[in-house]
Amino acid sequence: MKKSLSDRIFVFLAYTFLALFALFCLYPLLLTLGVSLSDENTVAVKGYSLIPEKFSLDTYKYLFINSGQRIIRSYGITIFVTTAGTLSALLITAMMAFALSIKTLKYRNIIAAYSNFTIIFSAGMIPWYIVCVNYLHFSNNILGLICPYLLSVWNLFLLRSYFQAIPDSIIESAKIDGANYFQIFAGIAVPLTSTGLLTVGMMYALQYWNDWWLSVMFITKRDLFPLQYYLFNIMSNVQALTSGRVSNIGSKISLPTETVKMAVTVVAIGPIIFIYPFIQRYFVKGIMAGAVKG
Amino acid sequence: MDASSMEIKNKSIGVYQPGKIKKSKKDRFIKEFRDNKMLYLMTLPGIIVLLIFCYVPMSGIYMAFTDYNIKQGIFGSKFVGFQNFLYFFTDGGMALRVTYNTIILNVFYIITGLVFPISISIFLNEINSKIFKKATQMFLFFPYFLSWVVIGAIIYSLFSSDVGVVNTILKSFGMEPVRWYAEPKYWKAILVGANVWKWTGYSTIVYLAAMVNFDYALYEAAIVDGATKFQQIRSITLPLIKPTAVVLTLLSVGRIFYGDFAMIYGIVGDNGVLSNATTVIDTYVYSAMRTLGFSLASAIGLYQSVMGLILVTLTNHLAKKINDGEGLF
Repeated sequence: MKKSLSDRIFVFLAYTFLALFALFCLYPLLLTLGVSLSDENTVAVKGYSLIPEKFSLDTYKYLFINSGQRIIRSYGITIFVTTAGTLSALLITAMMAFALSIKTLKYRNIIAAYSNFTIIFSAGMIPWYIVCVNYLHFSNNILGLICPYLLSVWNLFLLRSYFQAIPDSIIESAKIDGANYFQIFAGIAVPLTSTGLLTVGMMYALQYWNDWWLSVMFITKRDLFPLQYYLFNIMSNVQALTSGRVSNIGSKISLPTETVKMAVTVVAIGPIIFIYPFIQRYFVKGIMAGAVKG
Repeated sequence: MDASSMEIKNKSIGVYQPGKIKKSKKDRFIKEFRDNKMLYLMTLPGIIVLLIFCYVPMSGIYMAFTDYNIKQGIFGSKFVGFQNFLYFFTDGGMALRVTYNTIILNVFYIITGLVFPISISIFLNEINSKIFKKATQMFLFFPYFLSWVVIGAIIYSLFSSDVGVVNTILKSFGMEPVRWYAEPKYWKAILVGANVWKWTGYSTIVYLAAMVNFDYALYEAAIVDGATKFQQIRSITLPLIKPTAVVLTLLSVGRIFYGDFAMIYGIVGDNGVLSNATTVIDTYVYSAMRTLGFSLASAIGLYQSVMGLILVTLTNHLAKKINDGEGLF
């Protein structure tokens, strides 16, 4: 079919706009990577540039020789928090979502409303902080980086919609065979909703991996810094210096050199970039399922 | 004779026994828990998590009306009524400033969050090349996976005074470099740009999900009638996408009093020079906690929660009106 001029203009516009926007998303990332692979002195003189003028792995070598211990320790904290957090959050969320998906459970709507209300209203940060610090003793406690995110109500309802898709007859027949609900959950419901569980699990994992807000709240000991907070500390020292509030002259704070900052950023993005192509579709599924519900 | 047939017998007699009915209600309550013990046990950990992190702190709202000190605890501290709120809204407080910052930033987020994702999802839908489509989507979605600290570092690489790319470009055109981190006036725009950068891919997926359900026959009919792509978009796609856009916008309007702490703090940090332009209610609560004390900070937090609750209720009501009784929650 012959396309009209207006349609051809449209398609041209579409390609151009999308290409430009993709570039807008990609460029800053490539820049970061490029700088981290550049020679320090060249960067100091000529400024940041996308393609390393003088390629060098010195920054990474320097980073891992000088603060390798620190980074590996932070990596360890992040990996532990992400793994322990994701598994427990997933178990708690899945059990609750499964229970709420059973239609014979009489008070399930009350429990759902109880959960929903926490989205609509919160007491604010300060009372929450006092509960966490004074009563739960989360200061410099690794549990403080895990517990507050154990249940996301959005994920709860997303997962419930996956469990609701299981035909009642399957659950009924398992009940007649004498299985209790936990056995049905573990033996039948979980295998049937593996996609949903993977999706929600990854959403939790991403949240734990990227979180540093809880560290701002609770963590002051360097030994317990997760990766993101480690980066935050480097960057906030830099900012205090560049805004001109703190004088660099004569101060003892050593400014991390430019390439080091970008190298730490790359390290903090870390494994996400490698697993992204494989996990992307699960997030797309999760967002789409959530959108249909919304 | 077993119990159940006894019950049937009692019912069939039909004697009015008020005490019995009351008891049987309580019995049914207990019976429900006994029958579904396992299911209720399975909800228990979740219920406890919400109790500890959402409901117990609600009792701390009282703090906003006291002059809190750690020794006497929340309920032992002196009651001062609305004094904390008065301070926030009058002399020393920053009520107007931070509320304005929060709302204006959110308004820009909402507008850009409509324009970019909708136009991109429309374009993606009209493009034939599968590879181009896949690649674009992949690049667009990636920033969603990055933390605000990482994004803060990336923004630094663009706007740093000495080595940042933007200044290098300005210099190459013979213009004066700008000391970005000391100039508050640019930062609302930078924050909006960062928000577009992080969220456009995500919202695009939501709109594409809505588009999957569109009736393709409508487009075929339009093509037969000789409609151009522009006309198809104006008369078919946009009207069909409107309900999704309305729901998403209402959700954001409901949260217009909430700033993104992690975003602002991750990008701007404690930079005092920029704070006038970038401090939102959430970051202000945090700095108030450190400088002005817990009571005042919790008063500001409560002001935010109450305004938020009002707006969410309003938008939910509005959504019900628009969507034939289907609310946001």
